[in-house]
Order: sequence, then C-alpha cells, then structure tokens
Amino acid sequence: MSKTEKFREKINGIIRAEEPWEAVGHTPLPLVTDLRNWDFRLMKTYRPFYAPFCDLCCLCNFGKCDLTLDRKGACGIDMATQQARMILISCLMGAAAHGAHGRHLIEHLIEKHGENHPLDLGDQVNVEAPIIRTVLGLKPKTLGDLRRAVEYVERELIHLVAATHTGQEGSNLDYESKAFHCGMLDHVALEACDIAQITGFNYPTSVVETPLVELGWGTIDRTKPVILLVGHNAAAANSMTDYLRRKNLLDKVELAGICCTALDTTRYNEGAKVVGPLAQQRFFLKTGIADVIVADEQCVLTDIPALAKETGAALIAWSDKICYGLDNVTEKETGEIVKMIAGEKKQVLVLDPDKAAQAAVEAALALAPTRKKTILTPEQAVEIAGRCRKKCEKCNQNCANLLPVGTAVSQAGEGNLEPLADLFRKCTGCGKCEAACDFNLPILKLMAAAAGAEKYKVRVGRGPIHDVEIRKVGSPIVLGTIPGVVLFAGCSNYPDVGDVAWMAEELARRKYIVCLSGCAAMAAGMYKDADGKTIYEKYPPSFDAGGVLNVGSCVSNAHVVGAAIKIANIFAALPGRANFELIADYILNRVGACAVVWGPYSQKALAIGTGAIRWGIPLLLGPHGAKYRRLFMSKKEYDDWTVIDGRTEQLVDTREPTPEHMAIVVETRERALPTMIKLCMRRNDTSPGRAIKLHQYISVYKEHLGTLPDDLQNFVRTERDVPLVYKKEVLAYLKAVGWQPKPALSLPTIIGTYETKVPVSATLR
Amino acid sequence: MPEGEFLFVPYYTVNTLTGTKAARVVSDPVEAAEIIDRARNPLYILGPETITSEVGEKLLLEYVLEIVRANNILTCATAHVKKKMLEFGKRPDCVYDIIEIIHFLKMPDWQGVRGRGSHDLVLFTGVRCDLAERGLATLKHFAPHLKTFAVCRRGHPNADYTAPVIPRMEKWREYLEGIIRGLY
Repeated sequence: MSKTEKFREKINGIIRAEEPWEAVGHTPLPLVTDLRNWDFRLMKTYRPFYAPFCDLCCLCNFGKCDLTLDRKGACGIDMATQQARMILISCLMGAAAHGAHGRHLIEHLIEKHGENHPLDLGDQVNVEAPIIRTVLGLKPKTLGDLRRAVEYVERELIHLVAATHTGQEGSNLDYESKAFHCGMLDHVALEACDIAQITGFNYPTSVVETPLVELGWGTIDRTKPVILLVGHNAAAANSMTDYLRRKNLLDKVELAGICCTALDTTRYNEGAKVVGPLAQQRFFLKTGIADVIVADEQCVLTDIPALAKETGAALIAWSDKICYGLDNVTEKETGEIVKMIAGEKKQVLVLDPDKAAQAAVEAALALAPTRKKTILTPEQAVEIAGRCRKKCEKCNQNCANLLPVGTAVSQAGEGNLEPLADLFRKCTGCGKCEAACDFNLPILKLMAAAAGAEKYKVRVGRGPIHDVEIRKVGSPIVLGTIPGVVLFAGCSNYPDVGDVAWMAEELARRKYIVCLSGCAAMAAGMYKDADGKTIYEKYPPSFDAGGVLNVGSCVSNAHVVGAAIKIANIFAALPGRANFELIADYILNRVGACAVVWGPYSQKALAIGTGAIRWGIPLLLGPHGAKYRRLFMSKKEYDDWTVIDGRTEQLVDTREPTPEHMAIVVETRERALPTMIKLCMRRNDTSPGRAIKLHQYISVYKEHLGTLPDDLQNFVRTERDVPLVYKKEVLAYLKAVGWQPKPALSLPTIIGTYETKVPVSATLR
Repeated sequence: MPEGEFLFVPYYTVNTLTGTKAARVVSDPVEAAEIIDRARNPLYILGPETITSEVGEKLLLEYVLEIVRANNILTCATAHVKKKMLEFGKRPDCVYDIIEIIHFLKMPDWQGVRGRGSHDLVLFTGVRCDLAERGLATLKHFAPHLKTFAVCRRGHPNADYTAPVIPRMEKWREYLEGIIRGLY
C-alpha cells in the first residue's frame, strides 16, 4: 500500500467513510495546501490590500528590520509578506482561542455525559453540523465525534503556526491561503463548540421564538448578592445555576454577565442578566456592583485583579488561559476556598469550573451584606467634573475612539451632563483617558453616572437555523427575491454602539434576514425606539424576510455560515460531504449573504471573518477594522469578472463586479448600509431578484448620498433588472453613461476557471 | 515642532528605529499652497469629518471646497460626504470609500480620476485619523510613485507632508485661510 493510500485509509477511518449518507467528496480533512488553488482563485479577483500598522519586523534577533521603501528584512521578507504573516499569526490566536474553548467544553461535557452522548439538536435540525460535514466529511453523532473535529483543527494549527517562524513562507499569497485555512478551521471549532454546549447543557434548539431576557446594568438588583461572569466559557456559570437551583437560591442571587458567557448563561438560565458587550466591562467593574467577579477566558480585561481590589469585590479565575498570577487553590475544600475569598480577601485560581461555581455563590452570599454598593450620582459627577482644568486635552489625545472627552467632562463640570451621556454610547471602555488625566478624574464613572442605568431586552440565542426554514427561504435567497442575509458579528470597538441597532433595523425594514451574535447582538438590544421597544421586540425572530435573530454567542456564528451551506446542501441538493470548493463556490455565486463586524477588535473576529471569506461570504468592517491591516478588494469594473456557465461549460465575461469586495472597511454607518446591500448581490440573481436588490440600493443611496448610485451601471445587466419605481430615471442615467447590457447566467461558477479536481458538471443539479 | 523638521530617527537604525520615513511637517500655509500648486494632477480626498466639523462659523467642507476651486483639483467624496458637497454646489469627481480609492491609487498605471493619468499628489482632509493613518501607511509603502499631504490639524506621520498639530481652532482657521490665499 502506497503512502498516499495509507493516508487515505487513515482519513477514511476518522470520518467513517463507509457510512453512505453521501459520497465522500474531493477534500476530506483538507491539509494546509489542499484548498490553495481555491484561495489563489479568490485572490486573483479580490487582491490582498495591506495597511501596515508598523514599518518594521520585530520578530527575530536579526533585526529589528526596517521594511519601508521596498527594503527587505535580514531574512529576505518584504512588507507585503510580513503583513500577511502578522495576519496569519492573528488568525491563529483567534482560532486557537475558539478551538481551545471548544476542546475544553467538549472534554468537560464528555466527563459529565460520556463520549457516546448523542448529539440531538431537535426535530427541526437534521443537518446537525454543516461545517464539519463539508470540511471533514464527518457526520458527527456523539460528543466523541466532536472531539475528532477539534483534533483535526489542532493537527492543522500546528502546521500553520510553524509556517510563521522566521525563514519559512516567503509569499504573501501563500500566507493568506494559510490564513484562509486557519479561518476555515476556526469555523469547524466554532461549530463543534456550540453543538457541544447545545447538546451538553440543553440550550435552546429547534425553537424559533426563544425568550427575551434582561439587558443593561440597570436591570441588576444590587440589594442581592451579585456575581459577575466575564468571558466566553459558560461552564462555571451553568454550574452556578445548577448549584443555585439545588439550594433554592435562584431568586436570591443575581447572576450577571459581560460578553459571551452572559449570552450563553441566558441560554441555560432565563433569569440571568446581560450587563452588556465588552465595552461595558470596565464601566461595570468600576461601579463595584459585583460582589464576586468570575473570570473565565477570552476578551477579559487583564487588569481585573486591580479593578476588583479597587472596589472590594472578590475575584475567582478558573481558566488555564487566565491565571493572573493567583494562588492555585483547586485542591482545597470549597469551604476553605470561600474562607480565603470572603475572610482573607484573597483572589484565587480554581481550575475546576464546578468548584469555582460553588465557591463563587457561597462567597457572594458571605460578602454581599458587608459591602456598600454606592454609585456615583449625577450631582456628585458634576462636582467631580468641576475639577477638570479644561485646557490640557490629554484625554482627547488618548481616546482610542477619537472622542471629544475633555469637552464633555468640562461641560459636565458646568452642570450639563448630556455630552458625557452621549459619550457613554460611543465609548469603547478602554480607560486610556483616565490613565492620561493629570487630575485623576474618574472619567468612566462620570460617564456612567451621566448616562444612568438603562434597561433593555435581548433575545436568548437560538442556535442553528432549522432545516425547515432553509427549505422555505432557500429559493427566494438564491433567486434574489429575499434581498440578503446579513450577519452582525461580535466585538465592541464601535464608532457608536447605536450604529448596530440602526443598521440592523434599516435592513430588517427592507426585508433582509438579519442575524446577530455575541457583542453585536447585545449592542443591537441597547437601543429603544420612541415606544421604548428594542429591535428584538419589534421584529420576528425567524430566519425569514424581515426577521431579526440572535443566534447566540461568538461560537454560534457557525450557524449562519452553516445556514449558507445548508442552502446549497438542502435546498440545492449539492453533496456537501468533504466538498468544500463546491459548496463555497455555490455560496460565492448564489447565496446573497454578507457578514458585518462593525466593532472589529479581537483576533477571534479576524479568524471568523477570514473563514467567512473562504466560504464565499464577503465581510464588511467598521473603521477600526483597518487596524487588522489586511483587506480583500476587487478593482471593480477594471477587473476580469469571467466565470463559467455551468450549463454550457463556456467562459462568460459577466462584466459585473458581484460580490464587489470580499473584505472592506467603511467609515460611517450611512456608507455601510449601501455597501452591505451591494455585497449581497450575486451573479445568480434573477432579474426580479436583482430589481429588488437594486431598489434597496438606489433608495438607500439616494437617502444618504443624494443621487442615483455612481456605479449603478455595474449592477444592471438587462433592462429587466431595473426597479419599476426608478425605471425612467435609471434608464436615462444608463443612457447618459453609455451602459451596455451584460449577460445574466442561471448557473455561474468559478469552478473550471482554475485548476481543481472538482468538475464543472458537479455544479449542475 | 520646528518648520521642516522630521520625526526623530536615531543614529543606530538597525536595532532601535521605528521606521525611517516620516512626514515632513509643513507649518507655513504658504509653503503648503506651493506644494499643492506644484502638483500636476492632484486629487483631494474628503472624509466625513469635513461635513460634521466646524471651523469658526463655517464647515470644514467649505474651506476644503475653496482649496479645490482655487486650483481646480479633482475630488473624491468618501463615506457619505457626497450629499453635502452637492448642497454646496460641487459634484465630486468620484465617489469611493477611503480604502477603495487608496486601492486604486496603489496602481502606478491607474489612469486616475476622470482618466487624466496618474495622480502625483493626494490630499486628505476629514478622514477619521486612525483610518487615514492606515490608508497613508498603505500609500507610503505601496505607492512610492505619488506624494501625500494630510491637511489635518491632528497631524499624520505616515504622509509625505502633514499640517502640524494645531489644537487651537483659531490657528486651524488661519492655516486653512493661508493655504487658500496662497493658491489665489
């Protein structure tokens, strides 16, 4: 048996190739270079764009090396390749965070339920793991199968990390291909992680209308003991709920959370409160409302021990990712740990989520009666702000979100708290203004006092999109009559927290399907209309035109990519098993979807976004996204938009740049809206479908930019594409710019335009 | 910073430097006007702060449009600036988002806005400072065929030329008016 055959046999064993649910496709358990041609084809149209964050390479001891003006490093690396390497390193951080989270939860749940515990996502979900099926070729049936998926991710990650070492890869395109691979692995990890917790913790699944839960720090009853959960791993939080239930204390202790642990806790316990997204973390910690802070992993402030000490709150860390230099007391009895926390005021590390949960509850009960939770009043805020000297502007100069902090503080000192309250909505909570203030003004506390304690609602994360929903909307999405699916994904580095709700509502009103996850899902809830309603109370939670869904935490992003895969697999009946290119090609050419990370901040978001691009889903980033330093953009009408007509297998120059870009940054929400609409256009749109999309594009463009779109001629293929309402005006415009009709295909594909094992005939069903 | 001075670069650049190419600070608006005037085919990129930021009693956009009119400079409206430009009677020569126009400017053989050939000078005003800095870094590294000038009162080290940091609004107004006077 040859080496290749032996390897193939090994793969067949891992994915149980003998199971006949679908024939095994061309790329089971793809290796680092197996999808390289696909990546290179994408990058032929959507070339990498680099915005260097630093002129140097500081990674080895040959340097520092200056890479400006075409200089090369001592190792020979150039600026573009160095940027691509840094992107891969960032993606690896993100994918490792998700992968390790998934690995931890799967092992934790296997310990509780056994590795043969069946995966059951309810009667509405038959394609349980579309990403794992498509990438690995495995149909996971048990928690143990999810472990196989994560083991595959781990195997690939080690090769990718190795490629970042000095003196390895020497091409920016190959680094980008590796980053795509990393992003794809990230999606495998996300899906494995969320399916594990849905199954292991009995989170909602096969339910459309999940409950509405409370959001905002105003919802927290500080007369009760308050436990604050920070991070993304809900294992300890759910164990806390179990313990509180057993002790009949569920109504007597407040469980509140920040970031994804909060969202995941409400999937287990509807009584838990969501304080808000990441941007609220420092604000809330500074209020001192929490009696006990429980830190798990990812997006947790690294100075929580100091913040906890400032307010007299207790701190328990329980993840091996964040140990804070604390004493490991895992082996001690719970009672002894509680004594250390509540009596000796020690901050501790407990590497057992169940024990950490019990200790947190008992410590909160013991500590709460002794603590005074006084919050700064507006009157006190005015008095303190009066100490501002008004002229130095150090707070302004240090604001990472470029806000006029000093003006707002000085106005507050004169009794006008409105500008400070407004700033609260735009602040990302980094605290750099406070650190720079020569007069030690507690600027974050002042903002919080000015803003008051608002109460909002957010819908509990629903998990997967149901197969029945896919069957219903598959056709209108592919034909274009549902204008698009837009996912607003995590992070809270917003220009303004209200932007997400504004954009989501604009799209829902226009009958797009709006999905949200993580911090973006929380931010969307932090805005109320004139009737006091949040977006979750106004729009239906179904995956249908005009629906607004919270899919869940960051790891639940997998379900939106999963929905796109399901459209190909369930609606179009394309075989998904180990068939990455076939499915991604279908999404790229026919599924009008895009992802928006309006507050791009973390390496996890970069990994998710990079993975989405490999799946054929374009990505739109808010202005901070430029700091990721890499985008994928076409040159619009200047590029070659030739595809294959799947029916005739002939090359056709479509001359239409759809989707126009695969990753782009925009500066304002008014610009983001028409860009999203464009990114949801696909070559496969029927004329009625394209007319609906163009109607939305024209109406939004006119509203915010004042005229017909300057690039309208790029997206009108035939006169039948022109929306009726604007027909006369558009035809006159097209005539003026010398527009010529373009071919419209019913089966466009890029398979066949590059070297691949997938035959063009495979696209025809 | 004194006129004409660059950001500090240490003698032993091998292990200590933080980059060897930084903006030249153009403190004198007359010199700024000369730089703009010398350009053969300049392009002015207008960011959204031009339509939200006031300089004295006028919008920043009004000053920028004066500069544009003085030298008949081609314009690119980014974000949602176009609508306001139309209100002031100026139709932008192109509409792209900031990153899109930079993507084109990287191409040495791009025929430029309105097909008049490569741009030799690109002026920026009103783009979010952090975003502008990333865009200018892109052009610094990947578009050596053109020069950039950040007409921004917060300063931009990644440009070729930058206005100095001008915290006081009155001085900012004087700087802008100085450029306009220099161009007429």
